[in-house]
Amino acid sequence: MRISLKWLKRYIDFELRPEELSDRLTRAGFEVEEIDTPGAKYYNFVVGRVLEVAKHPKADKLTVCSVNTGKETLQIVCGAPNVSAGQNVPVGLEGAEILHDQHDPEAKPFRLSNVQIRGVQSFGMICSEFELGLGDDKAGIMVLDKGAEPGTSLADYLGLNDTVLEVGITPNRPDAMSHIGIAREAGAILKKELAIPKLELKESLNKTEEFASVRVEDETDCPRYTARVILNVRIDQSPRWLKELLTVVGIRPVNNIVDVTNFVLMECGHPLHAFDYDRIAEHAILVRRARQGESFITLDHKNRALAPDTLMIADARSAVAIAGVMGGENTEISDSTKNVLIESAYFKPESVRRTAKRFGLSTDASQRFERGADPNITKWAVDRASQLIQEISGGEILKGVIDVYPVKLSEKEIELRIDKTNELLGLSLSGETIKFLLGAIGITPLGQGKDSSGRILRFGVPTNRPDLEREIDLIEEVARLYGYDNISTTNRATIDFPADAPALEFTEELRNWAIGSGMMEVVANSMQEMSVASLVSDKIVQISNPISKDMAALRTSLIPGMLEIVRNNIFHGTKTLRLFECGKVYFKDRDSAYSKYVEDFVEIERIIFLFTGLAEPRSWDRMPRNFDIFDLKGEIQTLFDKILLDNIKFIPYPNTKALTENGLHIEINGEYAGQLGGLEPGFLKKFEIEQDVYVAELEIPVLEKYKRTLKKFKVLSKYPAVMRDIAIIVGDELPAKELEEEIRSSASPQLVRVELFDVFRGDQAGEGKKSCAYALEFMSEDHTMAQKEIDDLMANIVNRLTKKFGATIRKQEISN
Amino acid sequence: MPAPSNLKKPKKTAGGIPSGLLILPSMSMITDRIEEIRKSAESEIGSATTDQELENFRIKYLARKGLVAELFENLKNVTPADRAPLGKALNDLRGRVQSLFDVKKEALDSKVLLKRHALDLTLPGRINWVGTQHPITRTLDEIKRIFFGMGFSVATGPEIEDDYHNFEALNFPPDHPARDMQDTFFISEKVLLRTHTSPVQIRVMEAQKPPVRAIMPGRVYRNEAVSSRSYCLFHQVEGLYVDKGVTFSELKGTLVAFAKQFYGSSIKYRFRPSFFPFTEPSAEMDITCFLCSAKGCRLCKYTGWLEILGCGMVDPNVYRSVGYDPEMYSGYAFGMGIERIALLLYGIDDIRILFENDVRFLKQF
Repeated sequence: MRISLKWLKRYIDFELRPEELSDRLTRAGFEVEEIDTPGAKYYNFVVGRVLEVAKHPKADKLTVCSVNTGKETLQIVCGAPNVSAGQNVPVGLEGAEILHDQHDPEAKPFRLSNVQIRGVQSFGMICSEFELGLGDDKAGIMVLDKGAEPGTSLADYLGLNDTVLEVGITPNRPDAMSHIGIAREAGAILKKELAIPKLELKESLNKTEEFASVRVEDETDCPRYTARVILNVRIDQSPRWLKELLTVVGIRPVNNIVDVTNFVLMECGHPLHAFDYDRIAEHAILVRRARQGESFITLDHKNRALAPDTLMIADARSAVAIAGVMGGENTEISDSTKNVLIESAYFKPESVRRTAKRFGLSTDASQRFERGADPNITKWAVDRASQLIQEISGGEILKGVIDVYPVKLSEKEIELRIDKTNELLGLSLSGETIKFLLGAIGITPLGQGKDSSGRILRFGVPTNRPDLEREIDLIEEVARLYGYDNISTTNRATIDFPADAPALEFTEELRNWAIGSGMMEVVANSMQEMSVASLVSDKIVQISNPISKDMAALRTSLIPGMLEIVRNNIFHGTKTLRLFECGKVYFKDRDSAYSKYVEDFVEIERIIFLFTGLAEPRSWDRMPRNFDIFDLKGEIQTLFDKILLDNIKFIPYPNTKALTENGLHIEINGEYAGQLGGLEPGFLKKFEIEQDVYVAELEIPVLEKYKRTLKKFKVLSKYPAVMRDIAIIVGDELPAKELEEEIRSSASPQLVRVELFDVFRGDQAGEGKKSCAYALEFMSEDHTMAQKEIDDLMANIVNRLTKKFGATIRKQEISN
Repeated sequence: MPAPSNLKKPKKTAGGIPSGLLILPSMSMITDRIEEIRKSAESEIGSATTDQELENFRIKYLARKGLVAELFENLKNVTPADRAPLGKALNDLRGRVQSLFDVKKEALDSKVLLKRHALDLTLPGRINWVGTQHPITRTLDEIKRIFFGMGFSVATGPEIEDDYHNFEALNFPPDHPARDMQDTFFISEKVLLRTHTSPVQIRVMEAQKPPVRAIMPGRVYRNEAVSSRSYCLFHQVEGLYVDKGVTFSELKGTLVAFAKQFYGSSIKYRFRPSFFPFTEPSAEMDITCFLCSAKGCRLCKYTGWLEILGCGMVDPNVYRSVGYDPEMYSGYAFGMGIERIALLLYGIDDIRILFENDVRFLKQF
């Protein structure tokens, strides 16, 4: 909220610079987010008096004015139809910034310089309200008060030479949403007395209750309703001091009645409403719930359908206001209003909040009622408003207030243990200090608590502090008023530490491996379009109030988010990408085996790798080659090797609903652990990607379940390894994996390594055949293998391959 | 190196009779001839600049049918008295020519060697792919490292959370304005995307008795318009310490230690009162702006201060939700936004760039 320092000084006397005061308030919990000097934008604007108006020699619509700006008389070319001699006008001098250029379609600001306009020099500019940012009037120049003195700075004239603090007020402190509220806190900080305005009303002999009545049907939601009636007011603009204060704190002046209610709101924080008394049917106010099917036109000219639990202010015929939120068009103060009824009520926070939320209306009034207004200030507020209205617009204040307040809400009593306070804060304050601190904000000591130790204090908490209900709330106030900065810092903790030290998180291990393997980590949005989420799964978690359609579901796969990133990078010219992300996917899945925190919903951590573009960085001595699936498969195999996974299967599967073509399912110990493959071009097209993209998406929980941190050491053989190469011709369709497994099983356990180093098809292999060349390594743990032994093993391999696959041997060699 | 296979194999001569000499020479003639060949060899070796020319030299002088070998034939024809001095002279000649050849060969070979070493070492090296860590996880790792050092462990919880854990158990009453501080994405009436990591506090305390000392990192969601200052999701680290006799003073000590380790020991700090439903007293911690040393700049909005975290003593109502006795235990909680810290730390002025993942950006980390 905006706090004017000029306004604040009505209640408290201080000499601090705004920066100092801001720092003090901030340290007391009222964060000053900005210090604004609203007059600053009127630098080089002054009040000028038009002395003469002559026709422009070359342009019919322009005039050449001579304007007294205090120190000098300037020649100014003006295009406004309403300029005339004798007027006081706002004049922008060279260097001033015109806030809105009337001739610019976007009304951008511009800086004034002295220019020739159609051949006549102009030394400034007479401005309209619009150009000054003071209103919408563009039709002509703004005419200032007759009494204004030429040469006065415009900021002074407008009363903007003020400093305004933008104070962030936390929702627990409705009491501070006013100038008196902030003054009270400033008083506590600066140890100064508050000067609350004294009220002396000149009431007439006519009694209020003879002119109006109030009946409250719903005492739960409206515990108190106070009202006054003022007759024969003169509706006019407010005096300048009032308009200035309201403008500076961001409220647009309306008329002298509404302005007063707003002034009182900003002064003491209590929302008031002024009704046109003569438009209240039978002058009878009824506080009731809305009726079935009832609708209502609010001050903002919107017709609103009411719900049965909406608390309304009504007259004998119809509703006249939504209680605590907004008044109605039907009883609005207008130029023809003669008599007014001022409402000063206390509505229950829950009721106002419900209603404000339903209508999406957040008004100065509703914000304060929602957070908790003070039920015991209603009379002061209505009296204050009545007094000001009488001062400003005349009128007769009827005798007495109408005050429906069946159950008085009184001060709360709270006990505070001195020891508990000190224990929690790490302080050793005395009871006297605590009483002094709390006393500064109107929390009054009521003596000792129930027990006789003298270590428990009892306090009375005023009704303007709905946030203070428990001992802990008072402890916080003690800490706040003592000053958080005055509480020492302790670097100490005594803690029973857990017996098992936290292991490095597995995800972190995976991340480190991927970074070490030359991949870049990305972090993508986990919300995506429904249509995208549904490509992968139908168990989608939908957001019922998304920001936009493209973020209406939680992701079911990390692939689409990655592709967005690929698209953007290709767009920016980066076509080679090696990326990874560790992130969650989300499913609404009652039957999932994954553990659930919230019923029906599962979150699974996955890691995705994505390769696209060149397989190796370009270099001057090698041919560029694009990534293919074996680059990715190799990385995955390396990872599995690193985390010591065994029993891994890569299972080719046909392209079904999956996004990949030529894809592989990965199984570890028979459990699905992820997939890898090249993405299907049609799918890539949805992301405007026209190059091959390979991805692997793995289930982190499955990897974690089977990974091992330590493998048992295997004694190194003392005997040399023997290498043999063999090239085998088999049918083209035979999967390499089957061939390899057969070789392995034919020479176990002495065959310790099988390495496929060449595959070719063509004439030498024969029609429908391929040649696969393997390097085989044989070793025994207990003796040096003889030539004969190896020959026998080789013979067995050849024999089995021939039998099983009809293989022929192209070549057999002793390598190394 | 000249390949040896290029050498012509010298042909054997029939009967061992030299072809070039038809008459028997006198001793002086032979001596002159020796001298002539020596001079010619000495002059010709200088003009041999390639392997081939050197090879031609060798064939001419040193091969089995070369000029030197030819002269040796004369030994048969001289008198026995002359034989010894002639033999010595011939051996000297052979030695001399051989040495001319050897020296030259070495010179040529080393030239080749020199050529082989004359690589352009300014050619770029063969580089490999470079991996990078995203600034968000990088920042988180750094935060974790510091809190691990102070004896905190790690706990996690779900992003799809229920109203109870996200709000109610944290002392946000239904229909309370404090809920407006956190614009919420709903899945259903009672299920939502967590708006902060604080529900993990509840889950941890539900699962374990005091003492509790853990940090809880994770992704959170806010239904706010996306702008340079706010994104619809971000990451937080929550911290919680509950035990007997934990004080506000310790809260300050722990967080000051963290801030000094993370931002540098020269920072100044302030704790200012704030409001969170689940802590009381509540505070926000500011540190002096490290960009301008608190002189005031765009980063700190000319206040000299940067807000880095929210914290407070755990509210007794929270203990009641999880079945802890607020009379027996006390503790503190804190929470910080990782993106915000990363933005401050790396001088990034638009939060959205963190989620765009432009590799030109990622490469910088």
